[in-house]
Amino acid sequence: MPASCQASQPSALARDHVIKVAMSRNDNDSASDPDESDQRGFSNPHKDRLTVFREKDLPRRESAVVDDEAAALRREKSATAREDAANLREKAADLREDAAHLREEAAQIREVEAHAREGEATLREGVIRAADVVQAKRSEDRLRMMQDANAQLVISGIEAHKMTQQVETAKAQLDHLAHHDVLTGLPNRMLLQDRLSHAIELARRQGRQFAMLFMDLDRFKHINDSLGHAVGDQLLQSVARRLVRCMRHSDTVSRQGGDEFVVLLSSIKHPDDVAISAQKILTALAVPHHIGELELHVSVSIGISIYPDDGRDAEALTKSADTAMYHAKENGRDNYKFFEQAMNIRAVQRQSIEVGLRRALERREFVLHYQPKINLHSNLIVGVEALIRWQHPERGLMPPLQFLPIAEDCGLILPIGRWVLREACLQAQAWIRIGLRPITIAVNTSALEFNATDFLENIRATLDDTGLEPRYLELELTESVLMRDAEFTDSILHGLADLGVKLAIDDFGTGYSSLSYLRQFPIDTLKIDQSFVSRITSSPDDATIVSAVINMGKSLKLRVIAEGVETPEQRTFLLAKHCDEGQGYYFSHPITAEALATLLQTGIKPASHI
Amino acid sequence: METCDLPRHQLIKSLMAKQTEKVADAAIVLWAQLATQIISIVGEDGFNALYVRSVFLSRSTFPGLPTIPLPPQAEHRFAELKRSFEGQSPLQVREANSLLLITLTDILASLIGEQLINRILSLAWGAEIPNETGKEFKNE
Repeated sequence: MPASCQASQPSALARDHVIKVAMSRNDNDSASDPDESDQRGFSNPHKDRLTVFREKDLPRRESAVVDDEAAALRREKSATAREDAANLREKAADLREDAAHLREEAAQIREVEAHAREGEATLREGVIRAADVVQAKRSEDRLRMMQDANAQLVISGIEAHKMTQQVETAKAQLDHLAHHDVLTGLPNRMLLQDRLSHAIELARRQGRQFAMLFMDLDRFKHINDSLGHAVGDQLLQSVARRLVRCMRHSDTVSRQGGDEFVVLLSSIKHPDDVAISAQKILTALAVPHHIGELELHVSVSIGISIYPDDGRDAEALTKSADTAMYHAKENGRDNYKFFEQAMNIRAVQRQSIEVGLRRALERREFVLHYQPKINLHSNLIVGVEALIRWQHPERGLMPPLQFLPIAEDCGLILPIGRWVLREACLQAQAWIRIGLRPITIAVNTSALEFNATDFLENIRATLDDTGLEPRYLELELTESVLMRDAEFTDSILHGLADLGVKLAIDDFGTGYSSLSYLRQFPIDTLKIDQSFVSRITSSPDDATIVSAVINMGKSLKLRVIAEGVETPEQRTFLLAKHCDEGQGYYFSHPITAEALATLLQTGIKPASHI
Repeated sequence: METCDLPRHQLIKSLMAKQTEKVADAAIVLWAQLATQIISIVGEDGFNALYVRSVFLSRSTFPGLPTIPLPPQAEHRFAELKRSFEGQSPLQVREANSLLLITLTDILASLIGEQLINRILSLAWGAEIPNETGKEFKNE
């Protein structure tokens, strides 16, 4: 209960209390009187009076007590009220203090909140700054990634660019290869056909002429065989360059293959213009070609056909030019020939020979004649050379020059050569069997036979089959055959020498020979070409050459035989130069096997057969 | 695409034709300016690929251009080009550099288009390049 309430509600209890307090104080008063207390056990008159007084004064006193009690009560109330007020003030002070604390706490809280807000702001700012940095970093990364991506695209684009160019280059190269000759860079047969077709079409529309020149190098095979393909190829390149320089830009110079070239003169006013161009070519090619350290001379035979006179299509024009070219060759080479209709007859004849050759072997139309080789000192027959003849059913006996070149062109030389070898061996063995003195039989060997993979085996088999002793067989090879591939030649020649077969170099002096190879190869005989022998009495140069060859042969311990001996002066010259042997009309023409058998028995009578 | 009369080509030739002295230095400045712009778009590798290819293609016409165009250090990117120019006459340098720039921009144009390459050139050299129909350009 609050103090104020307690003070304002004086109760019966409080009044009783006041009375008791007053009475008690009276008692106390009595007790506190020292006299009174001292005389408590004794009779005291004064005390008695007092007692009487007291008794008389009791109501008043009681009333005073009541007043005192009331006063006390009031004082007590007042004290209580003051105490309550003090308490209240104290409480108020406490409350104020509490309020102040609360305010202080509130202020602190606000301060904390302010700090928190500040921290939060700082944090937000930091977050924003961090986000900016991250964003910048991301932008930079994106830029770098885009650059990288672009770089890759550019690089890929350039690679594609490169590959496209490479493909285009390869395509152009393939196209060029398809239409040009690899060796010379000239248009090839395919491109020529294309140009020819265009030229025909244009000439037909415009009513104009144009010319085709078909060219074949003279004796190129000889050079190729003797000096090797590398030299032959360089010569072809040199020829190609000169042909290009000779012609106009509008003309087409092409290589057909091998040593054949074709020039297309796209526009001509008169055939004489073509003749001028042909002569220009002959002149240009006549200048020596310098291949490495070699100085090579080469000529060309040119056949000319004119559109539309000699053909209205590509095939006919080419055939006419080709035919004319063969005529130029037959006419001594190093010249040109315009096509004439009469040439077709010769061309047909050539075709006929080729067809006939294919049947001649089966029909046994070939025969061998034998020309003796004579010891110049003793006049004894020391050997024979087997020479083929064709007993043509319509043309009669044909010499080899009329059909062997064709046989070489069409590849029939291989079976024909083998037939000659076998037939010669059989004949030599036959002569021996009938008791004639054994002699060496010589057989000419072409490059095609020599280079055949089974050449050596075929020689061995033929000797085995025929029973002829190898020492009686001699193979005659030209320089061009021997010098083609020295390593290969050496192995074959040593294989033949090991068999016991003799070896001779035919037409010596007309080709290209290496002296070191002459020493290295197991050669037995040098046959001096008849072109030198025929002039030894008229040309000092030829005489010198023949003397030199004889001396060289002697030095190399080789037999030397002169071909084409036709006069006693030639024989005398050769004897004087210590030549061992001779062969030629002076001693004997090529004769049949039977006639040779007789000659072997009777002996040679020089010039008796001329 | 017929490119001989492109405004971009004319600009390149014009910029090179203006150089009469220290042509090699001027050529390298053009390259540096162009490289900065192109690298910002296609990166170092992209530019290097373009540059090497352009030199390779231009060498068939000007064999004097460097065989190994890029040195190992990127900061000396055009050192070999400058060295190759220094041995040549101003006319040769002008022609060679014109061809080289034209080749590079041709390749880039084939990849990103003529308009974009013209914008790059404008940024690089501060020159306005008109579109295909325009006939003139001016340096700012």
